Amino acid sequence: MRDKFLVAYRSIRERRARSILTVLGIAVGIAAIVALMSVGYGMEEAITGELTGMADMISVVPGRITGATYVELGSFTDRDVKDVQRIAGIKDITAMTYDAAEVEYRNERSPIFILGGDTKELGSFYVDPVGIKEGRWLRENDFKGCVIGDRVANDFFDEVIHVNDKLIINGEKFIVVGVFEKASTMYAADVDPHLFFTLRASQEVLQTDEVKYIMVRVYDIDEAEGIAEEIEEAINDNHGLDDFAMAMTMGSMIEQIGDVFNIIRGVLVGIAAIALVVASIGIMNTMLMSVMERTHEIGVMKAIGAKSSDVLSLFLLESSMVSLVGGVVGCVVGVIVAKVISFGAGAALGIEMTAVVKPEVLLGGMAVAMVVGVLSGFYPARKASRMSPVEAVRYE
Amino acid sequence: MIHTENLTKVYRMGDAEVHALRDVNLEIKDGEFIAIKGPSGSGKSTLLNMIGCLDTPTSGSVFIDNTDTATLNENELAEIRREKIGFIFQQFNLVHTLNAVENVALPMFFAGVRRDTRLKRAEELLVNVGLGDRVHHKPSELSGGQQQRVAIARALSNDPEVVIGDEPTGNVDTETGNAIMDILEGLNKEGRTIIVVTHDPEIAAHAGRTKRMRDGMVLD
Repeated sequence: MRDKFLVAYRSIRERRARSILTVLGIAVGIAAIVALMSVGYGMEEAITGELTGMADMISVVPGRITGATYVELGSFTDRDVKDVQRIAGIKDITAMTYDAAEVEYRNERSPIFILGGDTKELGSFYVDPVGIKEGRWLRENDFKGCVIGDRVANDFFDEVIHVNDKLIINGEKFIVVGVFEKASTMYAADVDPHLFFTLRASQEVLQTDEVKYIMVRVYDIDEAEGIAEEIEEAINDNHGLDDFAMAMTMGSMIEQIGDVFNIIRGVLVGIAAIALVVASIGIMNTMLMSVMERTHEIGVMKAIGAKSSDVLSLFLLESSMVSLVGGVVGCVVGVIVAKVISFGAGAALGIEMTAVVKPEVLLGGMAVAMVVGVLSGFYPARKASRMSPVEAVRYE
Repeated sequence: MIHTENLTKVYRMGDAEVHALRDVNLEIKDGEFIAIKGPSGSGKSTLLNMIGCLDTPTSGSVFIDNTDTATLNENELAEIRREKIGFIFQQFNLVHTLNAVENVALPMFFAGVRRDTRLKRAEELLVNVGLGDRVHHKPSELSGGQQQRVAIARALSNDPEVVIGDEPTGNVDTETGNAIMDILEGLNKEGRTIIVVTHDPEIAAHAGRTKRMRDGMVLD
C-alpha cells in the first residue's frame, strides 16, 4: 500500500501545476463551507450569548408583535403593575413610560423617544451592560436631570451634547447628568436613541401616567415561560381582553433567533455547495485529463501485468490524495477567512464576534472533500482501468 | 509451449474489414528463439500482441502451456502477462515519472513483491544489462540503447519463461541493436523462449528459426 502511495505521489508531483490547481479548486470549495458555517455559528453565538445574559428577563408590552411589526393596543395601568408584582417567582419589576417628545438643544429641535422608569431598576437593566461614558446615572430625586444615549449625544444635533448641557422639552429645562457609552447591537435600539428620566419626571414631561412597558426579572429561568403566561393572564383579566398583553421571555426570543439562524446557515451552505460542485467538476476534469494524458502509461502498466483493479486503485488513490490535501488546505484557509470576516463584521457592527469553528464542521469539510475527490476521480479511474492494453500502448 | 489454432483477428475500419490475421497456426517450443519477419502491415505485431495476451482474437485461440487464453478473464490474462511473459517494445515504453530501477521493479510491484526485495532484484537486473551506474536515472536522461536495456531488465523482473520483442532494435543504431540481440541470445541460452518480430534480416539471423508473414498469414 505504501508503494501505491509512492507511485500516486510521483504522478501528482510530476504534474505539479495542475495538481496545485486541483487542490486549490477543492480548497476553495471546502474553505467556503467552513468559513461560512463558522461565521454563521459565530454570529449566532454572539447574539444568543448576549441574550443569555438576560435570560432571566421577561418583557411585557401592551400589544402584539407579529413578525417585525408591533401594534400597540393601549397602555398598562398601576393595577396591572401591582398585579404582576404579586406573581410568585418575580425578583424585580420595572414599569416604564415611553413616548416621543420634541427636544430642543441650542435652538435646534428634534423628536426623541423618552424612557422613564424606576431609576434603580432601569439602571440594573441598562447601566450594567452598556456603561456610562460621561457623568453618572440617574438618582431617585433627579427631577430635572436626564441621561442620554450615544446617538442622542453625537448624532441628533449639530453640536455634541455633554454632561451639564441643557435640553428644553415642552418648555421645561433639563440638565444632562450622564451620557451612555455606545451600546452593543443587542442594546443599541434600546439605549442609543433615547433620553432616560425618572418615572416621575417622564410622566410630567410626557403629561401622562401611562405605563407602556414592563420589564420583569425572575429568580428561576426555568419558570420564566410559566410566569410569562401568568403575567399575560393577569393583565388580560384586568382589561377584559384575550390578547392585550404580550409577555416575552428571552428564552423564546433566543429560540426565534435560532430558527432565523438555521435559515441563514442553510443559505450559506447552499452557496458553499455551489462552490463545491464547481470544484468537483474541476477535479473530474483534471482526473480525466490525467487519464487521457497517461493512456499510454496505463497501457504499459497493463502490458507488464497490472490488473484493472491495480490501475483503478492507483488513480483513485491519486485523486483522494489530491482531495485530502485540498480538504486540509480548505479547512485551514476556511478557519482563517472565518476569523477575518468575523473580526471585520464585529468591528463594523460594534459587537464582540468570533468565528465558532466546530470540529464537526471541519470533519464534515474533510469528509466532503474526500467524497467529492473519490467520486469525481472514480469515473476517470474506471475509464483508465478498462482500457485495452494494446490500444492504450499504441496511444501516443 | 505456445501454439495458436486458426488464430484470426479482424479490425473494423468504418465499413471495411481488415483481416490482420487469417487462420494462423503456429507452434513455438519451450526454449526456442524464433524471429517473425515481414513487411509492415503483414500482421506480425498483431500476432505478437495475441501471444503476449495484450489483445484478444476475433476467432481461434492462443494456447500457453496448454491453457486456452480465450477462456481466461481479464485478471487471469494480466497474471499471465505478469508472470509468464516479458514484453519488450520498439518504443521502450518506460514510465517516464519513474527512474530506471523503479521501472524495472514495476512488474514486481504489481506482483506484490516487497519493496526492498524488488528494488534489490531490479538493481541486479540492471547490472546484468550493463546499467549498474544508471539505476537512478530517469528515462529522459538515458540514450535509446540504454532505455531499451532498462526495458529488457523490466521484461525479466518476474523471471518469465517467454520474452517477446516487438522490433526491439527498431529505434536504436546497428551497434546497439547487435548488443541487444546478444543479450536476447544470452537469455535464450538460459533456457527462455524468445519471440522477436523484425523486418531486419540481420536481426532475424540471430534467431534459431525464422517465420515470414504476409497479409495476415504465416508463410513456409
